[in-house]
Amino acid sequence: MSGDKIGTDNLNTKLISVKRYLPDRSTEPYWQSFELPVDDSTSLLDALNHIKEQLDSTLSYRWSCRMAICGSCGVMVNGIPKLGCKTFLRDYDGEIRIEPLAHFPVQRDLVVDMEIFLEHLAAVKPYLIDDNPVKPFDPAAPQTYQQSPAQLARYKQFANCINCGLCYSACPQFGLNPEFRGPAAIALAHRYNLDSRDHGKKQRMAELNRHEGVWSCTFVGFCSKVCPKHVDPAAAVNQGKVEAAKHTLIALFKG
Amino acid sequence: MDKSSSQRFDPLTRTWWLKHRFFKLYMVREATVLPLVFFILCLLAGFVSLLQGADSWQGWVAFMGSPIVLALNLLALAASLFHAATFFVLFPRVMPLRIAGHRLPDNMIVAGQWAGVLAVALLFFWLLGRA
Ligand code: SF4
Ligand code: FES
Repeated sequence: MSGDKIGTDNLNTKLISVKRYLPDRSTEPYWQSFELPVDDSTSLLDALNHIKEQLDSTLSYRWSCRMAICGSCGVMVNGIPKLGCKTFLRDYDGEIRIEPLAHFPVQRDLVVDMEIFLEHLAAVKPYLIDDNPVKPFDPAAPQTYQQSPAQLARYKQFANCINCGLCYSACPQFGLNPEFRGPAAIALAHRYNLDSRDHGKKQRMAELNRHEGVWSCTFVGFCSKVCPKHVDPAAAVNQGKVEAAKHTLIALFKG
Repeated sequence: MDKSSSQRFDPLTRTWWLKHRFFKLYMVREATVLPLVFFILCLLAGFVSLLQGADSWQGWVAFMGSPIVLALNLLALAASLFHAATFFVLFPRVMPLRIAGHRLPDNMIVAGQWAGVLAVALLFFWLLGRA
C-alpha cells in the first residue's frame, strides 16, 4: 500500500508490459509496453481499458463486473495470478508485467480457454443431491430444506468461490497434470459434502478419492494465498483427503 | 470452428519452483526431509554397531562426535523444527476441531501442538538425565 492518503489527485505515469498473442498475425507471443497516466484509484482493469480505448484497440481481455464478483478478469501480474479489477497499480513500482492466466491454453492476448476448469467443476456434481424420499411439495414435509446457522457456518466459506480460476494458475500440480480436478472444483465438492441438505457425498467420493482427485495435491498452498474470496481451497482439498481416507477405511471393513 | 489449432500453451518447466518466493519456500519445506534421512541413517548405524559389540559401538560414538556429523545433525534438528512449524500451522486448516459446535481457534491448536513437542522433549531429557 502506498501510504496514508489515497486520492485521485496523485497523478503519475506507469509502465505496463502486456504479453500479446494474435494467432491470426503470428504464431509467436510478444511483449508490448505501454506508458499510461495513473492515479491512486487506477485498477489494472482500468489500465487495460485505457489501453484498449486510447492506445491499441486490438488488445483482448475479459471482464464484466469490475467489482470482484464475476470472476472473469484474472491475469498474471508479475507472475502472480490476480483479478484485474481488484489489483491497484499504486501497489506496484517499476514495470508491471501482465500475462494471461498460467496453466491454461491461450486463445488470444489475455484470453484463456477455461474449458477444462468447467469440466472439472461439472465432474464433482456441484449441486444439492437429495435422495430424500419425501418431496419438498409434500405437505407432510414442510421442513425439508431448513438449515440452522451452525449448519450453514460449516460450509459457508467454501461457497464464496467466484470461479475465477486464479487457484488453477497458482497450482503447480494442475500445471503439471491438467487432469487434476484442482482446487476450486474440489473446494466446491467439499462445500456440498458439508451441506446438511445434501446426500451426494458417496457419489462425489468416487471422483475425489483417486489420484486425479484429492491425492494429486501436495499442499503447496499457493491456491489459498491467491484466492480473492478467501475460500481457502487448499484447506478444502486436504479436509477432502481426510474424508477420502475415512471413506477407504470404511469400504475396507464393509468388504 | 476448431479453436485449439490457434491456441498456444506454455508447459511447466522443471524450474517452475524458482519462479517466486512462495514456491521456493515450499521446496525448502519439502527438502527438510534430506537432513532427516541422514539422521535416520546415523540412528540405524548406531543400532547395528550396538549389536556388533563394544568396539564397534565406541567407533560409532566417536563418529557421532565428529564436527561434521554434529553439524549435519544440528541441521536435521533445525530442519525438523522448521517442518513442524509449517505443519502445525496447516493442521487446524486440515482438521478443524470443534467442541460443542464451536470451532476451536487456530492459534490454540497450534499452541497445543507446540506444548506437545515440549512435553515429549522434557520427558526425554528427564529419562536421559536419570540414565
Ligand atoms: S477458490 Fe478462490 S481462486 Fe479458486 S476459483 Fe474460487 S474464488 Fe477463484
Ligand atoms: S471484472 Fe468481474 S471479477 Fe473482475
